[in-house]
Amino acid sequence: METAGPARDAAAVAGAGSGPVWRFLIAPRWLGWHLLMVVSFWGMLWLGDWQFHRALAGNGLSWAYTFEWPLFAVFAVVFWAKTIRDEFRIRQGKMPDPRAAAAEAERLPAGVSPVQASSVQAGVGAPDEEDAELSAYNAYLARLNAEVKNHGRWHGLR
Amino acid sequence: MNAAVLRYRVMAYVTGVVLVILCFVGIPLQIAGYPAVANDVGVVHGILYIIYLVAAWLLARRLRLTAGPTLIMLLAGTIPILTFVVERWVTRRFINPALGKGPGQARPAAPVSR
Repeated sequence: METAGPARDAAAVAGAGSGPVWRFLIAPRWLGWHLLMVVSFWGMLWLGDWQFHRALAGNGLSWAYTFEWPLFAVFAVVFWAKTIRDEFRIRQGKMPDPRAAAAEAERLPAGVSPVQASSVQAGVGAPDEEDAELSAYNAYLARLNAEVKNHGRWHGLR
Repeated sequence: MNAAVLRYRVMAYVTGVVLVILCFVGIPLQIAGYPAVANDVGVVHGILYIIYLVAAWLLARRLRLTAGPTLIMLLAGTIPILTFVVERWVTRRFINPALGKGPGQARPAAPVSR
């Protein structure tokens, strides 16, 4: 499990060596995100404008939406900017990669945090028999979890 | 962290309930020719949704969620019923692991014996 973090860091460093950090911004996946942000930003401004005209036409209720839509548009920009800033920080190694942590959590049984798992694996506080039984039980749960890994994923069970 | 979770959860339930009222009471009444409920509840949901957005966003930042799950969390406040489903999903998938608790953590009273 320790390989996930450093391996990713090494890959990030190697990536940084082969080109500028911002290069990820023009990857197809990110271009899709940019497009989505541009479309939703202008879409929300357009909706605000539409509500403004309805408000001027005498629909009092539309005044609330006239201000709400531009607010959402600004929110979308903040969301987009923060996401990009986080990605820069991750790639520069200033921030742990949440995807690595998520993959780690995915690997473990539901509800067991990486901290607990590592303490079980490291055998912390395992000298007495009860804890040996407990880790056996946890291993059993982990096995069961691995068997049903993807079952019920789309039912909100996992 | 606990305060952020509580804020998110309260807003998810309040916004979700108001949205259900809007969609399953307000809209039918509006179609039947009584738009008053839909108008009032609509404005209330509009205001609550802004607060929900902020609460959900702050929690997502705290949990260090990636863009995808964050977006699901934020948009859940606009789709009836889904608000509750997503709240449960977020709790199981992200909040419980972050707080280090969950169904798997409880010490079994009697470990399996065969």
